Amino acid sequence: MTTGMIVQRTGWDVLTKGNSFDRHIRKIVASDLMSDVLVVDEDDLLLLTSLVSDQVVRTAQVVGAVGVVVVNGKLLPPSMVSVANGLGISLLTTRLSKYDACVALHRIMEAK
Amino acid sequence: MSDPVASAPVSLDEERPSLVLLELIHRMKVRDVMTRELCVASRQTSMRTAQHLMRDRAISGIPIAEHGRLYGLVSIRDIIGALEGGTIDEPCQKHMSTGLVVLEEEMPLAFAIRYFSRYDYGRFPVLNREQMLVGILSQRDINRVLLRELAGEVKRLEVRTGVATAPEDDGAGKYMLREFPVARLDFENAGKAANQIRVLLLERQIAPKEVRRVSVAVYELEMNLCVHSNGGVLSCLLANGRAEIVARDRGPGIPDIEWACRDGTSTANAWVRSLGFGAGMGLPNVKRVADEFSIVSSPESGTTVRATVRVDESAAPES
Repeated sequence: MTTGMIVQRTGWDVLTKGNSFDRHIRKIVASDLMSDVLVVDEDDLLLLTSLVSDQVVRTAQVVGAVGVVVVNGKLLPPSMVSVANGLGISLLTTRLSKYDACVALHRIMEAK
Repeated sequence: MSDPVASAPVSLDEERPSLVLLELIHRMKVRDVMTRELCVASRQTSMRTAQHLMRDRAISGIPIAEHGRLYGLVSIRDIIGALEGGTIDEPCQKHMSTGLVVLEEEMPLAFAIRYFSRYDYGRFPVLNREQMLVGILSQRDINRVLLRELAGEVKRLEVRTGVATAPEDDGAGKYMLREFPVARLDFENAGKAANQIRVLLLERQIAPKEVRRVSVAVYELEMNLCVHSNGGVLSCLLANGRAEIVARDRGPGIPDIEWACRDGTSTANAWVRSLGFGAGMGLPNVKRVADEFSIVSSPESGTTVRATVRVDESAAPES
């Protein structure tokens, strides 16, 4: 499963298309606590969060995430999109809740 | 008339060495300095063979050990005694020194330096927790490592004070030194150091797993400077197969370091927590990703956290 495949199957909005858009995703991490994300010891993860902050994107880059999905249809500040662009991180949004977004991703993974 | 105090041997404390040196010798462990490639002999090895080994390897003492268990040590003094007594062809077991003073690999280097002052030995065998011989420490080892570490400190000071500029980073060399000022509660810029360091390390072809460990340590320390300190400087030095991250702040100091290093303990306010931080996992996480970790703090001089991550030198091309 890649970020591109997720977009294709869910229609989630793409705000930035990062360097790893077509990279295989190894792990999904859903958290609003960046401290939790920083202890995940796996490359190529996709971060789901309802937190809206530049630090979300910076954290994603630090842990080598392929992208970030912001849930609950939240509007993102321009700075967050700008940071994602600068760091080459894919940034997606969905109106689904964090739980439902996880379920949707699980179905895509199961269908593979 | 000579001054008895001035002519007496000077201990480290009386000499008042620099804070940098003090911090260095308390941070470094015996295992960071000792020689691991051991030349050992068994109890049945003849003193003559031991003598030849010492001559060929240019060493002044040889541990007598079998299957990692240390039985004694043959020094030049023992060899001379055997030559004078005509017993040079007898086994080491009969002439080796026993009742040895040993060091443990987890001891701070400062402890080992005191041993060299206290005992008139040129080297100490080093044991691990299981009491197995894992190395040997000589004064030469200490000098070599201290000189290397101090050279790094001097370089950092020169760059900071503008006496020297950091070597150009062309992306091909291993060496890298970067410093980032971090202002209190400047969330707009916090994290930029970690993001930059990650890119620079990947450019130097450091393994991604090691890059993540370094980046996470930098990020956590950067956020700590931003959230908890009055501002400070974060530096990352890549040299000699190690990435050394140092976060120095201007206070206010940590009253209880042990408490601060525990999982889940934090003094962060609700605003910081609303940004996804302040869960009390920062310092424990830095300790988790680092091969070496030290922290010194006082209300007067602030806090210095140092984390070192060993990086695979073979993965990075030579400059």
